[in-house]
Amino acid sequence: MSAHESEWTLRRLSAGELAAAEAARIRAHAAGCAACGATLRGIEKDQTALEAQVPFERFEAGVERALQRQKRNETLRVPPRRWVATTVAMAASVLLVLLARPLLSHQDEGRGLNGIKGGAVAELRIGGGAGPQREARKDAPEPLAPGERVRLGYQADGHRYVAAVSVDASGEVTPLHPESGESAPVEPGADMHWLPGSWELTGSGGERVVLVLSDAPLAVESLVDAARRAFQAASGDVERMAPLDVPGEQTHWVLRKP
Amino acid sequence: MRELYAKYGGSVLGRCRYLLKDATRAEDAMHDVFARALTHGEDFRAEASPLTWLMKIATNHCLNQLRSERAGWRQWFQRDAEARSEGHGGQGEMETRDLVRRLLSRVDLETQAAVIHYHVDGMTLEEVAAVLGRSVPTIRKRLERFAELGGEELRVR
Repeated sequence: MSAHESEWTLRRLSAGELAAAEAARIRAHAAGCAACGATLRGIEKDQTALEAQVPFERFEAGVERALQRQKRNETLRVPPRRWVATTVAMAASVLLVLLARPLLSHQDEGRGLNGIKGGAVAELRIGGGAGPQREARKDAPEPLAPGERVRLGYQADGHRYVAAVSVDASGEVTPLHPESGESAPVEPGADMHWLPGSWELTGSGGERVVLVLSDAPLAVESLVDAARRAFQAASGDVERMAPLDVPGEQTHWVLRKP
Repeated sequence: MRELYAKYGGSVLGRCRYLLKDATRAEDAMHDVFARALTHGEDFRAEASPLTWLMKIATNHCLNQLRSERAGWRQWFQRDAEARSEGHGGQGEMETRDLVRRLLSRVDLETQAAVIHYHVDGMTLEEVAAVLGRSVPTIRKRLERFAELGGEELRVR
């Protein structure tokens, strides 16, 4: 174990985040330790440099502009949709499945959060944990319990290709299906089709899952790039991401990992 | 706002500069990060360590900005010469930070964040794992893979 304090500890000390006793101990150590003292002075120099280069008034005005920009982006977001729920019996499992469908009033927008056409349905099913299987809500974050896995299903209703990606809280985009190439042709027939396999979303925090039904194949790479752009435009908040800038109809879910 | 500026402004700007290597873009990124702190007031105030929250957001914001740029990493290397090092711990530490920065583009986004929190912020493995919501073994594995790119200097302790 190092005899020195970590830079992170010294940075928290400098920000006044340590408890009084710990802060006193570390200050005493830094006073007698050349390396830790230099690191602490370096951290304090960061603040001095900021104050010299960006006076508080300029900082305040810049943050205000950023707030306005974020508000403008917020107003450009598609408003939350209301959903009509239908229950159907699932023959294989005898469990009830909620199939969500957007109201017709938004059908002609072409693209939007959960912009599925009249007959098309997308569903994210959660199972594998201690509790019963359930369908994830689309209109609010859905908590996941430890060990739960997700599956994705769709009724294509005329769309010809399907793809799905997820974006985690750190902005890492994972192609769920297919993992590369172009979006996969949909399965024939009007029934609910499930993408192969299921996924356990590791880590904690939010994760957004997006399923896209399209009439032409989409390059998975372009879908991943679109997801990254949307994550960035939301300032790194998966819960605030806008629709991806790709053609087709998309459905979004936000899951909160344990 | 003045308290945020006085307590955390220097650290956040330092992080944005380290990653973006451009004073103007770093300042804009810093404004974005603090605007997020204000719009997520409840989450932010509930944090045991606002510094951790801000540095995580700043790191993600800058990494995503770099990633979304066309040929972003190439431009980033071009800015290298103009960049000011964020290092405080002498020449050795500055070299490690520069090495980390040079190798970042070769790993995925989450590993980038883990590497920065570990090698640049000086967080422990446990602290990095908590910040990124991953297990300690997962973080260790990612850091060890990163270390394979850079040798002994990037060894995980």
